[in-house]
Amino acid sequence: MSDVAAAGSGPWPTRAPGTLRLGGREFPPERTLVMAIVNRTPDSFYLPGLTWDSGVALERVHAIVAEGADLLDIGGVPAKPGPEVTVAEEIRRVVPFIERVRAAYPELVISVDTWRHEPARAACEAGADLLNDTWSAWDPKVADVAAEFGVGLVCSHVGAALPRTRPHRAAFGDVAADVLDRVLLLAGRALRAGVEPDRIIIDPAHDFGKNSWHSLEVTRRLGDLTATGWPVLMSASRKDFVGETLGVGVDDRLAGTLATTAVGAWLGARIFRAHDVPQTRQALDMVESIKGTRPPSRTIRGLA
Amino acid sequence: MIVRAALCPSPPLLAAGVTGQEVPLPELRDACAAAISWLLATDFDTVAVIGPATVTATWPPGSVPDLSMHAPAVYAGPSVLPLSLAIGAQLLDAAGYPGPRTLQSVAESASPDACLNLGRDLAAAAPRVALLVMGDGSARRSAAAPGYLDDRAEPFDLAVEQAFRDGDLSALTALDPHLARDLLAAGRPAWQALAGALSPAPRSEGLYSAAPFGVAYLVATLVPAA
Repeated sequence: MSDVAAAGSGPWPTRAPGTLRLGGREFPPERTLVMAIVNRTPDSFYLPGLTWDSGVALERVHAIVAEGADLLDIGGVPAKPGPEVTVAEEIRRVVPFIERVRAAYPELVISVDTWRHEPARAACEAGADLLNDTWSAWDPKVADVAAEFGVGLVCSHVGAALPRTRPHRAAFGDVAADVLDRVLLLAGRALRAGVEPDRIIIDPAHDFGKNSWHSLEVTRRLGDLTATGWPVLMSASRKDFVGETLGVGVDDRLAGTLATTAVGAWLGARIFRAHDVPQTRQALDMVESIKGTRPPSRTIRGLA
Repeated sequence: MIVRAALCPSPPLLAAGVTGQEVPLPELRDACAAAISWLLATDFDTVAVIGPATVTATWPPGSVPDLSMHAPAVYAGPSVLPLSLAIGAQLLDAAGYPGPRTLQSVAESASPDACLNLGRDLAAAAPRVALLVMGDGSARRSAAAPGYLDDRAEPFDLAVEQAFRDGDLSALTALDPHLARDLLAAGRPAWQALAGALSPAPRSEGLYSAAPFGVAYLVATLVPAA
């Protein structure tokens, strides 16, 4: 890639803002994408068990594709602590479902939310296009799997947190700088592992290993991340920092989520992981039109 | 003299890109395109475009028809031409007409006599002039209209349409500037210039007449009586 400097040419790998490739699809930098969440879990934090049944989950996929989802993010293990989900169980939850979705939607970009290389490999064999490695390369072999299968990789930040743990007195001298260091370190590692440069995404991972002050700070300074040129994924949907900021429970976090989404889009994030697909799409369309990168749907007012 | 004349409205929404992803009013656009292609399908020396503006003036013929004052995200600016002439120039451009053109505005406040004289001057500018007249009817045709509903608006527009249909130049000449202004009928001075340019009474064909967004749009073609 001519627009991507070789790893090791500086302290951080750099990338000119450009096309993001996922599966067979190419996405230009000005286009924002909705990554719709499909949890194959009985106990995720929002609407637990909503898509635990695979038939219901497939119906959900039909619905969110119709609502404008650009990517699916299929996960088999909640981020929060809870009963152990073994590798075999995670594969059982996720992989047959990816096969069904792939059969129904040959072109749809499928992401798998996993931090272990065995489910990652099985997901790629089933047709996944992107490994959403939420726990910041806890298992470095996930990047090797991404390279081996030519799929995308999300490079995230969790501070000192281990998979499926809550932050406990998390502390950073400069959380935004820490995020920048970590995700770019991982992007460099991914490049060296052989992941294709235009398939690498960075994600500050709101709430992961961070308190709400940290997540607000990371959002405020998201421009530091987008300025690197690497496509930024923002995963803020209905998270605790939204709830704590507004003093609302998980069912009442849509407005806060959309406000966060709008700020992220304004600051240049390109992918938005979301529970609420049509609302997120609308918020992003509005921001794109304010930016001037999307024509409004229909403008007549004052022009007749 | 005038060899042919075409009448089109000049709302910003006719300009390229201004309405966003949707392109409403395909019938109006088709009618305008048909009127322009008919206008250009004859021998002429020049095309003259006349439309209302704040002042009576002749504008640089090569001016880019920029709508940045109405749609700043779509057009880069600067905007040189008044709206009516910008729309007229875009219609000529869209028809693929690259040739000589005169861009003439007529003041919204111009008296009927001043309009008639301006029309005569335009007609005399070349042996064969193809004339494009930009003029809109009332913007008070419905409660949702930009100027809200005025009960006088529809009869006014119908009278204008009838005058064009009958080639009744005296009826156009007699249009009351104050009433037209009250009704936000921007086309009045341009119609009266047409009346001056086309005398004697022309034959005409109407291609479109409706007020889909509360503003009356009229598309017609006119030829001078033999």
